[in-house]
Amino acid sequence: MTTAPQTPAPRELDVRPILRGGGEPFQAIMEAVNGLKPGQALRLFAPFRPQPLFKVMEGRGFGHEAQELDGGDWEVLFTPKPSGAPVAVSAAADNPDTWPEPVEHLDLTDLDPPEPMVRILAAAERMEPGEVLFALLSREPIFLFPELAKRGHQWAGNFDETRTTFRIFVRVGKPRN
Amino acid sequence: MPGATLSRWTMSYFAAACVFLVIGQGMMVSGYGYPFADIGAPATLALVHVLAIGWLGLLMVGALLQFVPVLVAAPLRAGRLALPALLLLIAGLLLLVGGFASLGGTPGMAPGMLPFGAFSLVTGFGFVTIMLASTIAAARPLPLPARFVAVGLTALIATVLVGGIFTLVLSGALANDTAIALLLEGAPLHAALGLGGWLTFTAIGVSYRLLPMFMLAPDSARATSKAVWWSGVVALALVAACVVSIAAGSAAVKWPLGLAALFSVSATLLYSTDLSRLFRERRRKIVELNILASYAAFAALLVSVVMFALPVTRSAAGEGAAAVVYLFVFGWLTGLGLAQLYKIVPFLTWLECYGPVLGRAAVPRVQDLVRERRARLWFCLYYGAVVAATISLFADNPMAFRIAVLAQLGATSGLLVEFARARELSAVAAPLRFPAGAPRPHLFLPISRPQE
Repeated sequence: MTTAPQTPAPRELDVRPILRGGGEPFQAIMEAVNGLKPGQALRLFAPFRPQPLFKVMEGRGFGHEAQELDGGDWEVLFTPKPSGAPVAVSAAADNPDTWPEPVEHLDLTDLDPPEPMVRILAAAERMEPGEVLFALLSREPIFLFPELAKRGHQWAGNFDETRTTFRIFVRVGKPRN
Repeated sequence: MPGATLSRWTMSYFAAACVFLVIGQGMMVSGYGYPFADIGAPATLALVHVLAIGWLGLLMVGALLQFVPVLVAAPLRAGRLALPALLLLIAGLLLLVGGFASLGGTPGMAPGMLPFGAFSLVTGFGFVTIMLASTIAAARPLPLPARFVAVGLTALIATVLVGGIFTLVLSGALANDTAIALLLEGAPLHAALGLGGWLTFTAIGVSYRLLPMFMLAPDSARATSKAVWWSGVVALALVAACVVSIAAGSAAVKWPLGLAALFSVSATLLYSTDLSRLFRERRRKIVELNILASYAAFAALLVSVVMFALPVTRSAAGEGAAAVVYLFVFGWLTGLGLAQLYKIVPFLTWLECYGPVLGRAAVPRVQDLVRERRARLWFCLYYGAVVAATISLFADNPMAFRIAVLAQLGATSGLLVEFARARELSAVAAPLRFPAGAPRPHLFLPISRPQE
């Protein structure tokens, strides 16, 4: 089953304090982008129009809408382009945008199959029911999906815009026996 | 919901296929069929069908039942037809072989078995096509590997139907001129549709998905991969057009076949560049044995297609280019089949046994299910024997051929023992072998899982 892309509320990031403190906000922005749920937009607040960022985000499949706020600051809404892969969700996954923030982040892109599957299932065993884990994989974990469903976990995931990384959120279900 | 589960009957298909591989090679060792009989002799036809349907056909169907759902990320449709299809295919093949044997003078058999065998095969492959085509049809947009499989299935249907007409003529049930002309002139086309269209095209498609998976290489559809598909489709369409033109009663024309050979060569060359690119761009630096053995099969594909296209080597290869066809069937199709079984059998066994307990108990790695060093020797012996057998056919030396095939049979048997050991988990250290809650796999029958 593939549903239409869900539209979770945009994540907000204000880089004005970082810049005021003399810091470099690029790292924070990229972390925020990597943490976005599939289909989720990013609302960025900056003291200037972040022209160079537009190109970077364009490359990652985000369009932008910039508007000047009172006082000369800028608000930019980066929205994933609808051409991105649709979000697939497990049959039981109701409304993934209401899920809590992930407590576990796994980068499994460099592991040989089926190691990513082993890691995700092991992590899910360690977590409490209702908690969410986020993982990056180098391909769609076809054999993992049924196993997650069998264990009562829910998941939502899709490929990123470059189709090289599969992103998956897994919400741990109540143990079944 | 997307995702693929274990195909229930794939291991049974594989087991039956392996039995027919041993039988087929045993027939050659014992001097049955070409080069000990004519290329068109009933004994050769029996041998060829044991290998093409019994070994390669069942192997391919078993693999597709498992991997078409992986190609399109959707569950298999109409999966309950898998067992009836297997039984129909085996029964059909046995009837067909019995019918050929009767044509060769074997007592107790009757030519009338041929059409019944063909009917059983048409039904069996029809069931296979229903399962796979409905699974593929549910996927939109169709990924490139699935498009290869779709063409392969079309070629399969064409092959089986043409073969069915042959059986009607051979058994005497059909005697009109068109059908007889088709039998006299269409046999090489029947073989081209089966070996080139069904088996090769499908294998290429599946490899576009499995190789990047095993090597961690990018698997985006390249322009070259699409060109392979188009060249192959044009080649197959030309072959199919020749079949139609013979059936329509027009004189056999040769130029479309020359053109088809040209397109086959271009498809093979393009495929080879894709394969070397995948190898270069892999992120997994360790090259596993199944990949090495697959690349040996790819080399055999390239060499045999080029030799088939060149008039010099084709005419040197004996009746019906037999030596080249041998290299194609055993170097390319069988070599690839054995190489992939070496990966797939342990992987599916691992998933079947340890999938339910992953994360809950310590489990072995997939590669712990096999002994690579021993298997490596068997693969070296296998390919060495295939090369020797091919050369002995070129040299028209039947005795050397028998010895080479015996070595090939030995290597194959060694590999089959390795596959059985993987199924039995006998290479896994005892404490890890059966964690609590892990089902114990049967050698070739599915575990009954009432919840699925």
